Amino acid sequence: MTDKTGGIRIENLRKVYGHGDTAVEALKNVNMQVSPGEVVGLVGPSGSGKSTLLKCLGAIIEPTSGRMTLGHDVIYDDGWKIPDLRTLRRDRIGFVFQAPYLIPFLDVTNNVALLPMLAGVPNELARRRALELLTSLDVLHRAKAEPSQLSGGEQQRVSIARALANKPPVILADEPTAPLDSERALSVIQILNDMARLAQTAIIVVTHDEKIIPTFKRIYHIRDGQTVEEAGEGRSIRE
Amino acid sequence: MMVLKFNKRVALMVAGSVVLLTAIGFIAFRMGPLAPTKITVSQVKTESLTPSVFGIGSVEARQSWLMGPTVAGRVLRVHVDVGQEVKAGQLLAEMDPVDLDQRLHAQEAALSKAMNVEMAGKAQVADTKARRELAHANLKRQQELARQNFISPAALEGRDQELQSADAAYQAAQANLQAAKQDTSRLQAERAAVALQKQNTKLVAPADAVVISRDAESGSTVVAGQPVLKLANPSSLWIKLRVDQGRSSGLEVGLPAQIVLRSRPQQTLKGKVERVELQADAVTEERIAQVAFDRIPSALSIGEMAEVTLGLKAAADALTVPQASVQTYQGRSGVWRVTDSKLEFVQVQWGAASLDGRVQAMEGLNAGDTVVVYNEKPLSVGASFRVVDALVKKTKP
Amino acid sequence: MINLAARDIQHSWTKFVLTGLGLGLLIGVTLTMAGVFRGMVDDAQALLNNSGADLWVVQKNTQGPYAEASSLKDDVVRSIVGMPGVGMASNITYFTMQVKTVGGKEARAMVVGIEPGAGGLPGQPSFLLAGRHLIRSHYEAVADIKAGLSLGDKVEIRRHTYEVVGLTRRMVSSGGDPMIFIPLKDAQEAQFLKDNEAIVNDRMRTAANSAFNRPAVPGLLEAVQNLQTSSRNVNAVLVRVADGWTADHVAEPIRRWKHLTVFTRAEMEEILVEKLIATSAKQIGMFLAILAVVSAAIVAFIIYTMTLGKIREIAVLKLIGTHNVTIAAMILQQALGLGVIGFVVGKVAATIWAPVFPKFVLLLTQDAIAGFGATMLICALASTMAIRVALRVDPAQAIS
Repeated sequence: MTDKTGGIRIENLRKVYGHGDTAVEALKNVNMQVSPGEVVGLVGPSGSGKSTLLKCLGAIIEPTSGRMTLGHDVIYDDGWKIPDLRTLRRDRIGFVFQAPYLIPFLDVTNNVALLPMLAGVPNELARRRALELLTSLDVLHRAKAEPSQLSGGEQQRVSIARALANKPPVILADEPTAPLDSERALSVIQILNDMARLAQTAIIVVTHDEKIIPTFKRIYHIRDGQTVEEAGEGRSIRE
Repeated sequence: MMVLKFNKRVALMVAGSVVLLTAIGFIAFRMGPLAPTKITVSQVKTESLTPSVFGIGSVEARQSWLMGPTVAGRVLRVHVDVGQEVKAGQLLAEMDPVDLDQRLHAQEAALSKAMNVEMAGKAQVADTKARRELAHANLKRQQELARQNFISPAALEGRDQELQSADAAYQAAQANLQAAKQDTSRLQAERAAVALQKQNTKLVAPADAVVISRDAESGSTVVAGQPVLKLANPSSLWIKLRVDQGRSSGLEVGLPAQIVLRSRPQQTLKGKVERVELQADAVTEERIAQVAFDRIPSALSIGEMAEVTLGLKAAADALTVPQASVQTYQGRSGVWRVTDSKLEFVQVQWGAASLDGRVQAMEGLNAGDTVVVYNEKPLSVGASFRVVDALVKKTKP
Repeated sequence: MINLAARDIQHSWTKFVLTGLGLGLLIGVTLTMAGVFRGMVDDAQALLNNSGADLWVVQKNTQGPYAEASSLKDDVVRSIVGMPGVGMASNITYFTMQVKTVGGKEARAMVVGIEPGAGGLPGQPSFLLAGRHLIRSHYEAVADIKAGLSLGDKVEIRRHTYEVVGLTRRMVSSGGDPMIFIPLKDAQEAQFLKDNEAIVNDRMRTAANSAFNRPAVPGLLEAVQNLQTSSRNVNAVLVRVADGWTADHVAEPIRRWKHLTVFTRAEMEEILVEKLIATSAKQIGMFLAILAVVSAAIVAFIIYTMTLGKIREIAVLKLIGTHNVTIAAMILQQALGLGVIGFVVGKVAATIWAPVFPKFVLLLTQDAIAGFGATMLICALASTMAIRVALRVDPAQAIS
């Protein structure tokens, strides 16, 4: 899977948990589209199917029916069209979690360079790319430190660098600003916007953080398994 | 900074591996089966050995006697006790003479009677002699008368007869006397015999000696030859020495001896080999010799054990090595020699050995050769080795 | 390519090293047990090798002289020396007893009766650590260093005192007891003669027996009592075959005699190793098996616990796209790394404490290699449990 053209499109995605009488329809008819370089928000209360959608987008769980397209490739069409989901996630989807979840026994540089190295990129090249990312995220001075030595904010930035390291066309961010204060939160969103623009990455930010919702140009609301698109305020972060 | 950190980690790993490998190597090459064998060495030197012969023996009395009766009997009295000194001729014990006294009396009575009979015989001889002379005179007279024809020839014959009778009677009387005399001698001899037997019941010391054992008390019955007392001459004590046949070369009369009695291990007494027995002990494979003391120590016990070392003549100068160096390899006897830091086994012809652990090497070695004395593992040709001072730490002397 | 296992070990190296230390001591014990067994076999072989004999001639139908009592007349050796193919033959006696030094030390030893000298006869010690061989025909001793005696010590054996004039090494009985060599005649007396009280008692009993105590035959009683206190027995005759002969060829004619059994080196080894040591061998074998299972269980437990502590990281790794193979390899390599550390610690520990053991512990290189292989195998197998857990982790755990 070397095609890294960007953008993600979801059509009529449906996910049912269980079967028979205990069947639960977590996603009913989800349609989404994010273009390369765009940062959209995915907003909804808990229990709305937000996590399920995220897991489907991240190819972590299998949807029941529908269609998922990544770039030019249909990755799901009523069944996985890709043989190796792990490689898909490694090369084409980047993850940013609520908590940084850095690997504690690797230093910061290796944490970031891990995925490229696993993908076959030569060590030197991978580390150089990692250092570049760390520089642009303003944590280069922590390059040789262990994750436990970093502050929360620094760790979060390193995790963003990790998500970007393998140049995935799509990044899924799950509540990336939940533990942060407004200044830091906005800073993270700013970084995501910058990275999206720089690398032409499509970024989906799942959040219910009121502080950052106004910054999105487009927002998908999800309730009871259905998504509704709406235009966001698109408020500029630098005020 | 990055480069430094890199190096630090690599350096640490390298250092760790080096330490580990050194430890493993140390273990393997110093303590395990790959370690070189530790040996001690000595130089072959020329010296004169004093070989010795060693044996153990027991103190015995050269002269000892068993005093006992020549016939079975009962012990009447024992006059001496163990440890007593006795002089030659001293009465030691008496056997019960039983009826010997009575028989002696009987013999004496018989002898008296025989002597009386002899006297009677003598008297008879005189008597018959007188009658014969009378008859002879009568005959002469009658013969005279017959010549003058005063008597008849018959009467002369009668007188002749009388003479013959008287003659015969005389012969008879003489014979009787002779018989009586012989009877007397016989009875005298018999009396002497009983007296001797009576004497035999007395056990008398044959020489100056010491009583070493009292084997029967008064009232005990002993058979002929069974000892009542044992005597020994205390100044004749010597040591009966037993020497292993294989280690007895050089054993001869006159060798000086160093004697250590078991009862006085600190003292070394001097002596000399007095006799080497012609008859050895084939069962125990030992030769027997008698060793006399130069000066017999006091308070010696017969039967005491002693260790005797006989000094032979010093052997001529020869190459010697410690006896511990002698080893057998592939069926040959010799030593391990260190030549140019390499081990080789040399077959050696051995000569005399001394009791302090040196042995002559007659053939196979040269003066100054370095030979292995002690080793901690069996050696083989070309084995790796390390020379040390000693394999065993000496404890306090 | 980055090695996750190496990074993890480097990161928490104290934990690894300490765990490896503990595992290492366990492995050290296992190696030592194997060494104890090898030591027992080596003791038996040392006994056979150091005797320098090719054949053992013993009492008929016995498995002596080590496994069973055997008694021969001491002049049998003379006839054996003359048999075809016999290079050297010598009498020997063995008996095990407590010996006391003048000075208090007591030791359990096997007293061996040999001909004095350095003639290289079978049964005589072939090399010394100190001192010299027996020279005098009585009251000298050569002791093995394991008895704890020094040159010049006086040893009491039965009724006599012997002076230690030489020291040897690895001259032990099949049970590992040190040997003390004394002249054959003294050994015969010591083995078959009792102590003074028993002798006096025997004399009284014989004197009370009217068949032996005949007044008409003076000297009979003494002759019988002398017979009782003399000993002309030995336990075995050791034979070294002459050049060019095989042991079996030489043994056959000797066996044809009616009263003797002959064992070759191979047969003696079978008797000692298979019959004498068999039970101990089984015991040690079972112990080794248990130790192996315990080691496996400990490694499995440790690796499992370590993996459980990394569940979240494993979920994250899976989520961001790390393949199962990479994760499994990390766990496996950690287990093997633990095994390597443990084995090195164990081998070093075993080598250092082996000489301290009262019995001979022989650590062979082949055992170490086999032990290393077994350790790696056990670690690999033990890691499978943890790998299964790791593979079952749901990547979605990283996302609430």
